Amino acid sequence: MASISLSNASVDIPVFATGNNSLKTTLLRKIGGKFNQSGHNLLINALSNVSLDIRDGERVGLIGRNGAGKTTLLRMMAGVYPPTAGRVRVVGRVAPMFDLSLGMSPDATGLENIRICGALWGLKPSEIEAGIDDIIEFTELGDYLEIPVRTYSAGMLVRLSFAIATLRRPEILLLDEIIGVGDASFMAKAKARLASMVGHAQILVVSSHSDLIIRDLCEKAIWLDKGSIAAFGSVEEVLQEYKASV
Amino acid sequence: MTEATVRQDYPISGSLADRLMAPGVRDLIEGMANWRLWSMLGWNDIRQRYRRSALGPFWITISMAIFVVLLGVIYSKLFHQEVAVFLPYVAMGLIAWGFIAGTTTEACGHFIENAGIIRQIHLPFTIYTMRMIWRSFIVFLHTVVLIVPIAALFRLEIGLATLLVFPGMLLVVLNQIWLSIVIGVIATRFRDTAQLVATAIQISMFVTPIMWPLSAIQDARLVADINPFHHMIELVRAPLLGGTAEPLSWMVVAAMCVVGYGLAALALNRAHLRLVYWL
Repeated sequence: MASISLSNASVDIPVFATGNNSLKTTLLRKIGGKFNQSGHNLLINALSNVSLDIRDGERVGLIGRNGAGKTTLLRMMAGVYPPTAGRVRVVGRVAPMFDLSLGMSPDATGLENIRICGALWGLKPSEIEAGIDDIIEFTELGDYLEIPVRTYSAGMLVRLSFAIATLRRPEILLLDEIIGVGDASFMAKAKARLASMVGHAQILVVSSHSDLIIRDLCEKAIWLDKGSIAAFGSVEEVLQEYKASV
Repeated sequence: MTEATVRQDYPISGSLADRLMAPGVRDLIEGMANWRLWSMLGWNDIRQRYRRSALGPFWITISMAIFVVLLGVIYSKLFHQEVAVFLPYVAMGLIAWGFIAGTTTEACGHFIENAGIIRQIHLPFTIYTMRMIWRSFIVFLHTVVLIVPIAALFRLEIGLATLLVFPGMLLVVLNQIWLSIVIGVIATRFRDTAQLVATAIQISMFVTPIMWPLSAIQDARLVADINPFHHMIELVRAPLLGGTAEPLSWMVVAAMCVVGYGLAALALNRAHLRLVYWL
């Protein structure tokens, strides 16, 4: 039974070596989280007192302005951002999909990268080998898989990264605005693949600026504003509240 | 990644001992255990570095050979030593030092270099350390092959005692692991550390008996005995020259490991809470 549970969780990110504090503060006050100073270091309150419970079977969208704390929240759920206060408890196999091309080695061939990235994503060698045919067929990269990845176009890279990242069957899927530069036929395939992954996952949290994606994938939504939860409810309710504030 | 288990539970609960050691010790164990991942990453680092170069990593072997020959011949005259004895001594010292200096220096930036992964996937930090140590070890293997021509040319005594180089090297590697973790955590938070370490390594290279023989300092053996680098090098150098390292050297390095891993666990505890925010 997968679950995500946050209780009064806060994340304060220190900003080191800030020279001209006042200029930075003025500029950055326009976007981003709340600021305060602590001794010599500037602390950004990326998330303040966030409490939420996401249960097995729920699909939650994450919306908010740039700098509201969506990526921070996702990273906290992924287990890479420990809270500076409060509790975080995540149960289940998590697949964080933030940077798809994580671990890619430019001079290695497509096939070699499949093995490297696959291992990084936590796949066992047997799982990777079993998935290689699937990747070859999905990416339609053919002979390109035998040559270094630095020769690929951006679209080809997206195909490969996406294929490797979606080999897993996670219980919790965290998506951070991953929309690629693939062509129409790839996008159709990608949607289907993602849908299948979403179907297998028990919890989905998607951060996106696209209403379409949120409505399509989720039934609940969280509106994050300046590091705090401004609304948490059904997708339509939250989208309405968010739109009203803009 | 296995079945559904509690993956993250912050803050850590339990007794004081649990909270003090738990994440750090678990990080060390899980990190080292995942040899498949770190050996693949480390090996790939080497391939990436030498992919389009003609001789590849054998450039390391060649440059070490040149260094050894030059120093061995010139300094043997300086210290009135026989080339046949002194050159192998310099060679083994430099080869061992290459690994120690290399890992200590790379330790400063090795978490920073993995920032992309650290910010996305929750993996034990020790994995990144092992990646760096493994690739440094592969480089070391490219220099240690020089023992073959040197042993042949200078008729070094190879006997059963020579086998002690294996446990000796193992102890040195183990030592460098904890040291790299501690330096890595500190250097990620305080970026001057890299400069400090670089300077310390430079000085150590001259202060440690590598390019000069121990006999040159006569009564002042203390200078060598208080130097941990000297003991680490001795563990590797002495067996390869047909001798044995002093018991003191074994004891010093073993003691460093025992204390060191405690420090590493503490450093990792801290890292688990804050390191990602220092990147």
